[in-house]
Amino acid sequence: MMPLLVFRERVKNFYQRYDIYITPIVKFIFAFIAFQTINKQIGYDKRLESLPVVLILSLLSAVTPSAIMVLLAALVTVLHVYSVSPILSIIIVIIMMILYLLFARFTPKLGYVLLAVPILFVLKIPYVIPILLGLVASPIAIIPTGCGIILYFVLQIINTAVSMQVNTSVEDILQLYIFVIDSLTKNRQMIITIIIFAVILLATNFIRKMKFDYAFEISIATGVLTCILGFLVSYLILDKSEQILSMIFGTIISGAIVYVIHFFKLTLDYSGVEYVQFEDDVYYYYVKAVPKITVTTPQMNVKHINVKNIEQDLSKMDTFKHSIDSEDEYDDDDSYSENNDN
Amino acid sequence: MLNNKKIRMMTKLAVYENKEGKEDIHLSKYYKTDYVRYQVLKSAISATIGYILILVLTFLYKSEYIIQNAVSLDYKTIGIYILGIYIMVITIYGLGSVVIFSLKYDASRKKLTRYFKLLKRLHKIYSDETPES
Repeated sequence: MMPLLVFRERVKNFYQRYDIYITPIVKFIFAFIAFQTINKQIGYDKRLESLPVVLILSLLSAVTPSAIMVLLAALVTVLHVYSVSPILSIIIVIIMMILYLLFARFTPKLGYVLLAVPILFVLKIPYVIPILLGLVASPIAIIPTGCGIILYFVLQIINTAVSMQVNTSVEDILQLYIFVIDSLTKNRQMIITIIIFAVILLATNFIRKMKFDYAFEISIATGVLTCILGFLVSYLILDKSEQILSMIFGTIISGAIVYVIHFFKLTLDYSGVEYVQFEDDVYYYYVKAVPKITVTTPQMNVKHINVKNIEQDLSKMDTFKHSIDSEDEYDDDDSYSENNDN
Repeated sequence: MLNNKKIRMMTKLAVYENKEGKEDIHLSKYYKTDYVRYQVLKSAISATIGYILILVLTFLYKSEYIIQNAVSLDYKTIGIYILGIYIMVITIYGLGSVVIFSLKYDASRKKLTRYFKLLKRLHKIYSDETPES
């Protein structure tokens, strides 16, 4: 454990110092993965799929707030669908607008979840989201998670709808539309998935708030177990037993990912280097404020544990010594008494 | 002369203003009632638009049936249904946003008190400084 803790401390220090460069790079990588996944899933428009476009889009989302990335991803999706079927793209836009206006706008800080859920579904580890959000967010995170799941299933349906031959007659368009809405509203798997994700999130959140040792680890385990049980039941009901194996593997990998994130906890409590500027009547100030690294305790903690142990050992030894001493005293007493007796 | 104490304080304030304080300071420009009313209005409008979009979708979905029975439909009941559900939706969203945004406003106020305390101290440093210079 010790080398790991030291490693974590190193990573943390490094992150704190170069936060201003690392954050855009990480965002760039995430955006790149996201856009590539979208292109792979629904890459109908070859122009958007080309590497320069993807790179430019990722670069753009690296330097702008995360809301922009979500917006760009939505835009790319709509444009892809538009290139094969304008009607379907209109349906997507309307569904996205409904989701935003009625639900997602209440949780602006969790907007990236909307993007992350479909992407992770494609990567077969969507279970990361409810477990992680159960750990770091409040139960209200159910809203964006649910919206993300709906978006994923909408895209699945669109994928099958695109393959249907579409003419431009009103009748065909209407049929296509009815097909989309039918398969969306009668999609039991989607509804069950939303419910299971909500349950996972609530269970993880509930355990995390408990006040006993290892609450974090146990809550992750709870999330994993709830997830496996829930999806096991749902797949048996829906008769999709061939997905069970990949689900179990995905859940375990998700649990591991969440554990690693929890171990580093970079997003939870960090204060990086800040660059601020201000002025008073006389000067302009350009200040670089570096947080005191010694304040973040983990490395101290390591020492602390050792110190404590040593202290404990010492105190144990002391008591031991005392007892020996006292025994000696007793012995002395005894001897004394014996002597007295004598 | 550089006043280190002042610079330290100003840095702290500036860091807060740049990061988490941005939203709090923005909120502090409103009275609570104004802010909550504004947010309720916003969510009522967005809920209305969302509701209309859902209505359009359902209308299209049922369009075949509607066109076939255009004459014999009971428009009054449908209208009452649509209006009733709309009023319910608006009430839920309105009340919900009253609760959520009042809580949010109170929370930001709490965070701001520390900021204002620092500002006051800074102001004191300023007023101490000026008579000398």
